[in-house]
Amino acid sequence: MTKALIFKEWIKTRWYLLVCLTVMIGFAAYAASGAFRAVELRGAGHIWEVMVTRDAIFVDILRYVPLAAGFALAIVQFVPEMQKKCLKLTLHLPCSILKTTAVMIAYGLCCLTICFMAMSLTGILPLGRLFPHEMVSRIFLSMLPWILGGYSAYIFTSWIIIEPSWKMRIAYIAISALALRIFFLAPGPEAYNVFLPWLSAAVIFSASLIWLSVLRFKAGVQD
Amino acid sequence: MENIIECRNLSHYYGKRMIYENLSFGVPKGHILGLLGKNGTGKTTTINILSGYLEPRNGKCMIFGEDIRKMRPGTKAKIGLLIEGHVQYEFMTIKEIERFYSAFYPKWKKEAYYELIGKLKVAPGQRISRMSCGQRSQVALGLILAQNPDLLVLDDFSLGLDPGYRRLFVDYLREYAKAEGKTVFLTSHIIQDMERLVDDCIIMDYGKILIQCPTKEILDNFRLYSCETDRVPESDIPGIYHPYSIKGRLEFGSFLRKNEVAALLAGNNIRFGQLSDKKATLEDAFISMTGKY
Amino acid sequence: MKIFGKIFLWLLVAMLAAWQIPWLIRYFAAVPSHVPFTLYSTVIEDFAMIRTEGDELEFIDRAGHRYTEKGFDSILPLFYARQLNSEGRFPDSVSGRAVNIHEVLEHNFFFNSHPSDINCKKTGIYFLMESCSGRVDLEMPDDAFRFISGNGTIGGKAWTDGMAQDNGGIEFIDMKKNDVLREKSEMFTSAMAEAGFSFPPKCLSGNPGTRKEYDEGYIIIDAADKLFHLKMVKGRPYIRLIDLPSGVVPEHAFITEFGDRRTIAFFTDTYDRMYAVCMPGYVTVRIGYIPESGIDKTCRTSDTADCTFDPTEESIYIIGNLIDWTVRINSETSTRYYAINANDFSLISFMEYPSEPSWAERVPGIQFTSSKDKYVKPRIRK
Repeated sequence: MTKALIFKEWIKTRWYLLVCLTVMIGFAAYAASGAFRAVELRGAGHIWEVMVTRDAIFVDILRYVPLAAGFALAIVQFVPEMQKKCLKLTLHLPCSILKTTAVMIAYGLCCLTICFMAMSLTGILPLGRLFPHEMVSRIFLSMLPWILGGYSAYIFTSWIIIEPSWKMRIAYIAISALALRIFFLAPGPEAYNVFLPWLSAAVIFSASLIWLSVLRFKAGVQD
Repeated sequence: MENIIECRNLSHYYGKRMIYENLSFGVPKGHILGLLGKNGTGKTTTINILSGYLEPRNGKCMIFGEDIRKMRPGTKAKIGLLIEGHVQYEFMTIKEIERFYSAFYPKWKKEAYYELIGKLKVAPGQRISRMSCGQRSQVALGLILAQNPDLLVLDDFSLGLDPGYRRLFVDYLREYAKAEGKTVFLTSHIIQDMERLVDDCIIMDYGKILIQCPTKEILDNFRLYSCETDRVPESDIPGIYHPYSIKGRLEFGSFLRKNEVAALLAGNNIRFGQLSDKKATLEDAFISMTGKY
Repeated sequence: MKIFGKIFLWLLVAMLAAWQIPWLIRYFAAVPSHVPFTLYSTVIEDFAMIRTEGDELEFIDRAGHRYTEKGFDSILPLFYARQLNSEGRFPDSVSGRAVNIHEVLEHNFFFNSHPSDINCKKTGIYFLMESCSGRVDLEMPDDAFRFISGNGTIGGKAWTDGMAQDNGGIEFIDMKKNDVLREKSEMFTSAMAEAGFSFPPKCLSGNPGTRKEYDEGYIIIDAADKLFHLKMVKGRPYIRLIDLPSGVVPEHAFITEFGDRRTIAFFTDTYDRMYAVCMPGYVTVRIGYIPESGIDKTCRTSDTADCTFDPTEESIYIIGNLIDWTVRINSETSTRYYAINANDFSLISFMEYPSEPSWAERVPGIQFTSSKDKYVKPRIRK
């Protein structure tokens, strides 16, 4: 049954995932090549100095990419379920609805993990040739809140899409927009290091919001 | 006889608007029961409650003896659900959707699905979103037949179908349900289809059930009456449904015999002449009972 | 799961409200408080300030005397030296001391530090310039350095025989090749270990860059709370332990590299007292100590005037000249001004502007960022 549920999610998302993966790798490769180009033009010493003294991390272009990826994945995955209330079919499957929901969300999170890993590896791994591990880990740690923001955007967007009432959807959009701001407040690199474990836990817990929307859908809540 | 569906004292409101109050009915095993009602009388609401997608304000619904709000997956597997408009996963192809559903149902009958699909002359790789409404209805029906459920809940199965597909759907469904002893609960806004299909029917009016009885009983006993009269009854006369006057002729329907109707009119001080009656179709009976407006 | 989801939702809403509502109130209702620009005047022997009255600037001193703009320049001749000199009004002497414009400009300096410069995550990569290249212009080095823990290896390989540094070391990296410079690393580690340096350091302050007159490398507080001066002279390490007065435990150090070369560093100790390390001889002197003769009568008690500075909580701005320094320290509760004798660093005078936050700024709530650090984390604003 789990395999079949994954199969359904795969059919919905396969083309999007291909595009998403390509775009993310493209962006990351562009960011990494920017660092290589800069070293070639200005010399390694200058680029190291810029990184140390001016907090440059060379991957700023990726800031909102995970956010957009999470947002779009939720749309691709759940808008078809809400068209003509198809979700009724899914929830009518002879499977606990909690499990059905959990499999769908877990699928989405796994897909995002693959995309984010591809992005991180493409964007960061080559930089190990240019920069010491301190700087490479600094870049990665600075990117982590954006990645968490991507997961969060996915969860919040799913929560909003599945919610059956438009009034509540608008309230959820406001809550989500404010909550997503939290991931983009960094005044400098590695600003979230202490907060990251707590933020990660909050992102995991936030998946429970989707369950609330599913229950409201199941109860036939209307405006 | 054992009731597969048992609804007791259902009440539901949308905001402050009452849909119905204290609605109770049962669907016996092996019967095809049609829920008839005009738009807005609560047919889809009832289907939504029955399929677990609407929490009634009051009352309880049991299917296979289980509360529909807490139904076990095994019980859900015994219920085939057709959502209004033959909704299915439009992003899947004919082949993919069969592969998907087959994983969930132990009694899955692949051949039943492909037998029906075979009549459509569509390729297995055809995406459902690119099919006509009629073709989609056959896919939805095929999936339900392949699921081989004990109870079929069908919401407005005739919506958007042309007469050919409606006939195909009805014939296939009746043959299947009767051959396999399935219980069916359905709604449709096309009453002629129901006449060919349902064993029992519930006719709903705003807020209440007007009648629940075997279809045959309606077809055998319900008659349309016509007579000349100078006035329309001012108040309801029990036994007479929605009398109305056209050019001096009073028309109404009733389960009563002709002599009983004549006595009833006379007893209500209505002068009449040339009382005639004729057999009613299910649609005639439905309109007569629920009124044209 | 339903209950958990609902609790999470309400917590989220409460947290967002506690974050955004006070922010909105502050955004729309808070009135910025202005502390007048204040400097100690050697001429009038008191603080003088520029206040804004509407669109007008008001030049006054603490006693309330008003000045014209030109008059104000005159009571602060060392700060406005260029202006006075351009107008031909630069005096021959100030407070009985003969001065000339070149000497004044050489001794004028600005120093500042903000808590967010300290409360942030550093890369752990530093640049050590050649301090004595024999050239006029300074150049950035081709290598960078890091401190390593004592795992008995350097650049992932064993140290040269007799060089095993189980207590860690300093590792230089060729920036072009991104590879460890073994020989240089061993040479510096060895020199530092011989000088009694304990790895890894707790605090490091340097100012690598080519837009300065000279380079003094780094002032470092090591793992054993000792203060060191590290620089590179003709490619070789120069490491010097700085003697500290008994009981002084350094906590935060700042390299100075001012034009007059009189000081090499400032540092604060565990009691937030501030010190200057003077050259030659690396002599440590407390900044703002109260001289035996006492300070001017405007200070209520010596405690109030005690010059303390917590670099992690307060920002500091020093405007120094040949004769005195004006030290401004901003804390949450007040802005303190200390006038310091530039000769012996004793306290001359003190004044304080209490901060009175408006009601909007006192609304409690949650905030994720702070002007005092570069971290994002939830914190209660009381």
